[in-house]
Amino acid sequence: MDSQTAGIVELLVERFGVEADEVQDDSRMRDLDLDSLALVEFGLAVEQQFQVKVSEDEIGPDNTVQDVVRLIDAKLAGDPR
Amino acid sequence: MSDRPAAGGPEVAVTGIGLVTPAGLGVRENWQRVTAGEATAATDPAFAGLLTDISCRVPGFDAARELGKRKAWRLDRYTQLALVAAKEALADAGLTPGDWDGPRVGVVIGNALGGTATFEEQVRNLVVDGAQTVSPMLVPMAAANMVSGYVAMEFGALGPNLVTATACASGATALGVARDLLRSGACDVVIAGGTESSLSPAIVSAFARMGALSRRNDAPEAASRPFDAGRDGFVLAEAAAILVLERPDHARARGARVRARLAGYGASADAHHATAPDPQGAGAERAIRAALADASLTPDDIDHVNAHGTSTALNDVIEAKVVERVFGQRPAVTSTKGVTGHSLGAAGAVEAAYTVLALENGVVPPTANLDSLDPEVSVDVVSKAPRHLRMKAALSNSFAFGGQNAVLVFTTP
Repeated sequence: MDSQTAGIVELLVERFGVEADEVQDDSRMRDLDLDSLALVEFGLAVEQQFQVKVSEDEIGPDNTVQDVVRLIDAKLAGDPR
Repeated sequence: MSDRPAAGGPEVAVTGIGLVTPAGLGVRENWQRVTAGEATAATDPAFAGLLTDISCRVPGFDAARELGKRKAWRLDRYTQLALVAAKEALADAGLTPGDWDGPRVGVVIGNALGGTATFEEQVRNLVVDGAQTVSPMLVPMAAANMVSGYVAMEFGALGPNLVTATACASGATALGVARDLLRSGACDVVIAGGTESSLSPAIVSAFARMGALSRRNDAPEAASRPFDAGRDGFVLAEAAAILVLERPDHARARGARVRARLAGYGASADAHHATAPDPQGAGAERAIRAALADASLTPDDIDHVNAHGTSTALNDVIEAKVVERVFGQRPAVTSTKGVTGHSLGAAGAVEAAYTVLALENGVVPPTANLDSLDPEVSVDVVSKAPRHLRMKAALSNSFAFGGQNAVLVFTTP
């Protein structure tokens, strides 16, 4: 597991009541019981942990853990998406 | 013509109790600790550096274990405590959530302040880290109405759903309002009680600044001492208590065990002062007499009074004088706050539960830390050891800031 993925898993476990073994690369946010309010909270946590800017429509309930990792990687690489 | 009784109909049945308090998790632990008269106040590391550093916390409460991790993180502790108490109460009542006529099941839960810990944490985020860091969960976690909503979601209670806010009387008011929903025919079952977990820095500091809290930081176990000459304030506590109240015909039809009957409810306002009780206790007396009249009982019928007994200078003397004026020396009086501290909006429901347990067991718990009765108190306050007493009727007092008074009368089934 790369460090970005490990960071996301840690966040989900520490803050969002998910067990580590419940998280797969292809787990969707909704599978982890992150609803719209929780996703706003999650976006903020991602911003703080990875020092990137995440707007509210960038992580939705159907996005997977892998999607989030790609988003962070792209942002860290300076992709202005 | 409906077969439901008209308003003013028969008393309602108490068929289930759930308790999550500093005296323990569950009814059994609670009753053991309360009848032992063993205080729960202790030094609170979370209050280090504040004006008071003692509290009564629920020991060993693990929300993730009780409710599941995915649910627990979304709930302020004031809701977590209530959900666990409600689960115990429903199991005690022999009710299977969902396996009932949902729209006939109501929820009425009192609390004074809502999720203050969540609120204070988010205010800190706002001030220190900026508006972008305020959690979107703040309102659904901290709002005072949410506990009843979450209880409905958890158990499928689809009937009337509300929260009562009468400060330190909230839990008793909730039981009274629930009784009315049953009497009017609006519900068959009401999940009712109180919850509070306001052990947060701003709230504890505010109560300390008011001079309401005991300053016995060096001897926390002796700090809550209702009716004692040396009392100097209350100890802030967290707790939840839920009672299952039920229409007698509904309880009978399903063969439920009736633990006691809620026979009377009386409420009044002092209309006197924001925080000080009426000096003569006129409002308290009106609520007591209203509850007696509602139960069609006279003062001589009451065997036991679970007093509001906060351990503050003013309350305990004024309350004792009112109790003496109405009842004379007859009833065995206790304040279980000596053991539990004062859980604000939960207290009225916690003490209603203890009153039911006293009736059921024929035991009046002692008032913890009552070493030297205040000379101005001349009612029969039980101290040192539990008193065994056959009882038919008992009364529980709750008096609040704002001058809101709520009194409940329970009788044996």
